[in-house]
Amino acid sequence: MKLLYLTIVLAPLIGSIFAGFLGNVLGRKATHSITILGVLISTVLSLYAFNYHVLEGNSAFNQNIYTWLAFGDLSISVGFLVDNLTAVMLVVVSFVSLMVHIYTIGYMHDDDGYTKFFSYISLFTFAMFMLVMSNNFMQLFFGWEAVGLVSYLLIGFWHHKESAVEANLKAFLVNRVGDLGFLLGIALVLMYFNTLDYVQVFNNVNNIAGITIVDDWSLITTICILLFIGAMGKSAQVPLHVWLPGSMEGPTPISALIHAATMVTAGIFMVSRMSPLFELSETALTFVMIIGAITALFMGLLGIVQNDIKRVVAYSTLSQLGYMTVALGVSAYSVAIFHLMTHAFFKALLFLAAGSVIVAMHHEQDIRKMGGLKSKMPITYWTSLIGSLALIGFPGFAGFYSKDMIIEAVHYSQLPYADWVYFAVIAGVFITAFYSFRMFFMVFHGESRVDKHTESHLHESPWTITIPLIALAIPSAFIGFYTIEPMLFTGWLESAISIGPSHTSMEILKSHFISALELISHSIVTWPFWMMILGVITAWIFSLYRTEWADWIKNKFKGINYILESLYGFDRFNEIFFVNGFKRLGEFFWKVTDAGLIDKTLVNGSAKLAGFFGSLIRPIQTGFVYHYAFFMILSLLFILTWVLYSGENPLLGLPF
Amino acid sequence: MTSAQILFYTFSFFLVASSLIMIFAKNAAKAVLFLVLVFFSVAGLWILLEAEFLAITLILVYVGAVMVLFLFVIKMLNIDKSTLRAKFAGYLPLGLIVAAIIVAEMTMVLGHEQFGLNIYPAPEKASADYSNITILALQLYTDYVYPFELAAVLLLIAIIAAIALVHRPEQNRKKQDISEQVSVRAKDRLRIVSIAKNNKEVNND
Amino acid sequence: MISLSDYLILSSIIFCIGLVGIFINRKNIITLLMCVELILAAVNTNFIAFSHFLGNEAGQIFVFFILTVAAAEVAIGLAILTLMFRNRGSIDIDITSSLKG
Repeated sequence: MKLLYLTIVLAPLIGSIFAGFLGNVLGRKATHSITILGVLISTVLSLYAFNYHVLEGNSAFNQNIYTWLAFGDLSISVGFLVDNLTAVMLVVVSFVSLMVHIYTIGYMHDDDGYTKFFSYISLFTFAMFMLVMSNNFMQLFFGWEAVGLVSYLLIGFWHHKESAVEANLKAFLVNRVGDLGFLLGIALVLMYFNTLDYVQVFNNVNNIAGITIVDDWSLITTICILLFIGAMGKSAQVPLHVWLPGSMEGPTPISALIHAATMVTAGIFMVSRMSPLFELSETALTFVMIIGAITALFMGLLGIVQNDIKRVVAYSTLSQLGYMTVALGVSAYSVAIFHLMTHAFFKALLFLAAGSVIVAMHHEQDIRKMGGLKSKMPITYWTSLIGSLALIGFPGFAGFYSKDMIIEAVHYSQLPYADWVYFAVIAGVFITAFYSFRMFFMVFHGESRVDKHTESHLHESPWTITIPLIALAIPSAFIGFYTIEPMLFTGWLESAISIGPSHTSMEILKSHFISALELISHSIVTWPFWMMILGVITAWIFSLYRTEWADWIKNKFKGINYILESLYGFDRFNEIFFVNGFKRLGEFFWKVTDAGLIDKTLVNGSAKLAGFFGSLIRPIQTGFVYHYAFFMILSLLFILTWVLYSGENPLLGLPF
Repeated sequence: MTSAQILFYTFSFFLVASSLIMIFAKNAAKAVLFLVLVFFSVAGLWILLEAEFLAITLILVYVGAVMVLFLFVIKMLNIDKSTLRAKFAGYLPLGLIVAAIIVAEMTMVLGHEQFGLNIYPAPEKASADYSNITILALQLYTDYVYPFELAAVLLLIAIIAAIALVHRPEQNRKKQDISEQVSVRAKDRLRIVSIAKNNKEVNND
Repeated sequence: MISLSDYLILSSIIFCIGLVGIFINRKNIITLLMCVELILAAVNTNFIAFSHFLGNEAGQIFVFFILTVAAAEVAIGLAILTLMFRNRGSIDIDITSSLKG
C-alpha cells in the first residue's frame, strides 16, 4: 500500500517535471499526454484507495516514509496518514484535477505557455496530495505553502497583464497573513506537545485541556483560533477574502481547480482533521461559526451586483466556503466535508462552463454583453443548468443535500449566536438562488446582447471542453443522493473525526434522518426550499421579465448599491492602511535610519570624527627641523627629571 | 692655585665664550672661525688630560680638514652674503631656560658628591717618556682592529656618497640609448598619408 | 686640583650650548652642522676625561672612532647642503617644511 500512496503523490510530480523542463522539446501533444497520464494514474489509484479504506473498511495507514530532519528529540518526517477522510479528499482532488487537465487542452489551445501551464497544474496536484495525505503538521505546512506558491504562479500566468500581477501578489500576501497565524498555531502545538505528529498530538490532547497562557487565555482556544486564521487565509473567509476575486485574473481552468475545488478547501479539510483539538474549545468553534456566517451572507450579497461572469462564480465560492465553515463551527465536520465534496463538483462545473462561454465569446467576460446563448451552446447550457440547480439546492441534486444538512445542523446547535447564524444561512439560500439564476438567465436566456462580430463566430466548444463538463455534471446531479447516508450517518468519516459529547448537532441530525428520498419530499415544508424558489422567481423577474425594474431599484437604493459595488471597502481599507502604512514605514526606515542614521551618522560620522581628531593633532607636524629638535630636547629634559626624581628609589631626592 | 688649574680655567673660559659667540654669530664665516677656536681650546683641555695624540689629531684632522671644508662650502655658495638677519628673539628665552634646567640637573648628577676627587682621585702624572700613541696603537691594532677596518670602509662610503650626491653629469650631452634604438617601430619614424583621387578634376584637365 | 666632575660639568655646559644653538638657529643650515660638531666635541671631552681618571684607554679609542664618523658625517652633510642650495637657491631652513602636516 505504501507504494500505492507514493505513486499517487509522485505521478503528478513526475508529469510536472517533464512538462516543465522538457515541454518545449517534447511538443504540446506529448506534454499534455504525459501530464494527463500522471493525473489519470493518481485518479485510478485514489479510487482504489477509496475502495480499500472506505468501502471495504480497512484500517487507516499511518507511516513515516522518510525522515526529513531530526534535531534534538524532535524529528520531522515525510509521512502518510491515509484514512477515510484522506481517501475522500484524494478522490475529489484527483478527479477534479483530471477534468481540469483535459479541459486545458481546449482552453489553452492558443496560448504560448501551454506546456508551462500543464506543468503548473500537475505541480499543484502534487502539492495538494502532500497536504491531504500528511501525517504531521510540518508536511501539512509544506503542502499549504506549496499550493499557495503554485496558486501565485498560476494567477499571474499571463504575467504581462498588469492586473494579473497585482492580483497574484495580493493573493500571496494575504495568504501569508493567514500563514502567520497558522505557523504560530503550529509553534504552540510543538511547544506544548513536543511533537508534530498528528496521532501523538491527538492522543495527548487531554493533557493540555486546562492550561492557560498569558493571563488566562485558554491554550487550546488560542491554538485553535491561530490554526483557523491560517484556514481563513487559505479558504478566504472575511477579512482575508480579498484575494479570491482578484484570483479570477488567472485562466479559467485554474479558477476551477484551485479556487473552487481544492486549494480553498484546504482550510476546511485542515479544521476537520484537527477536530479533536477544536472540540475542546467552544470559543474557537463559535468564532469559526460566526466568521463563516458573515462570509456566507455578505459575500453572497456581493455576488448580486457583479457583472463579470467569473466574479459571480467567485463570490459564490466565497459564500459556499462560508457555509462549510459554519458547518465546522457547529461541530458537523462530516457535513462540512460532504458539502466540500459536492461543492467541488458543481463549482468546478460552473467555472468550466463559464470558461466555455468565455472561449466561445472570444474572451469576453461581461454578462451584460451576453444573452440568448442557449441555442448556440446546448451542452454548455444543460450542464450549467445542472450545476446551478445543484448550487442553489434544488431538491434531488447534490447541493440540496449538503446545504440542507448544514442548515439543519445549525438549527440544532447550542452555541451562542446560533440563531442569528441560522437566519444568515437561510437568507443565504435566497441570495444564492438569486445571483446564480440572475447570471444564468442573463447569459443563456433572453435577447442576445452579443455584438455582431462575435455572434457570427459563436459555436459550441470542442469536445476537450465539453467532455469534462459532462463528466462533472453527473456527480453534481447524483452524488448527493448516494453518499449522504453513508458519509454523514453510517460512519464513513467516523474514525477520522471526533466530536465532543456536548456538541450534539450530529446526533440530532442522525436521529431525524430517515432516507435521502424522504429528504426530498420533506423539503417542501422547509424554509430553504421556499427561499430558493423565491430567489429563482426574483431573478427571473429582474433579468428577463422586467429588467427596467432592476435599474429602478438600483437608482432608488444608490447608497446600498455603492457599498456593494465597492466590496464593503475592504480593498480600499487594505490599500490605505496596510499598503500605504508599510510604504511609509519602509520610506521611514530607508531615509531616516538607513540613509540618515547608519550612512550619515555612523559611517560618515565616524570618518569625520577621525578626521576631526586628526586635524587637531596634525599641526604639531610643522615641518621645521628645529621644532622637531626642540621637542626632542624637551623630551630629554622630561625623562631626565623623571629618572632623577620619581619612582621608589629616585637617584636624587628632592631637597625638600 | 696650581698651574693645571689656571690652564684649565683659561681653556674652559675660551671654550665657553667662543661657543656662545659661535651660535649667536650672524656671519657664517665668523661662526666657523670661532668654532676653530673652540676646537683649539678643546685640544688644550685634552692635552691636560694626557691624551696628546687625540689632541693633535683634533687639530690636524678636524680643524685642518673639516673646518676648511666648511669654509670652502661657505665661500662657494656665497652664504655669508646671503644670510638674512636671524630672528632669535622669539625662541631664545625658551631655549635658554630649557638648557639651563638641563645643565642644572646634570650638575646635580655629575656633581662633586658623585664624581669628586674623593671618589675618583686624580691619577699620577705620567713619566716623561710616556708615549700616548704607543699605548693607543697597542690597543687599536689588537683588540679593536675590526672596528678600525670598518671605520675605513665607512670613510670610503662617505666619499662615494658625497660624490654621488653632488655630481652632475653635463647637461646638454648627446648620448645613445641602445635599448631605445632597438625597440623602435616603423610607425614611430614613418607616416604614410593617402591622398584621395578625385576623378572629375583629373578628367577636366 | 681638577676633579672629574669639573670636566663633566664643563662638557655638559658645552653640550647644552650646542642644543640651544640648534634650536635658536633658523636661517642657516651651516650653523646647524656646526652645533652638531660642538655637541660631538663635548662628548669627546667626556670620554677623554673618564679615560684619564679611570685609567682605561678604551675611552680614547672610542673618541678616535667618533672623530672618524663625525668627519664622514660632515662630508655628506655638506654635500646635501650643496644640493639643497642648488635646487632651492637658499639654505634657509624654513623653506624645507614640505613635510608639514
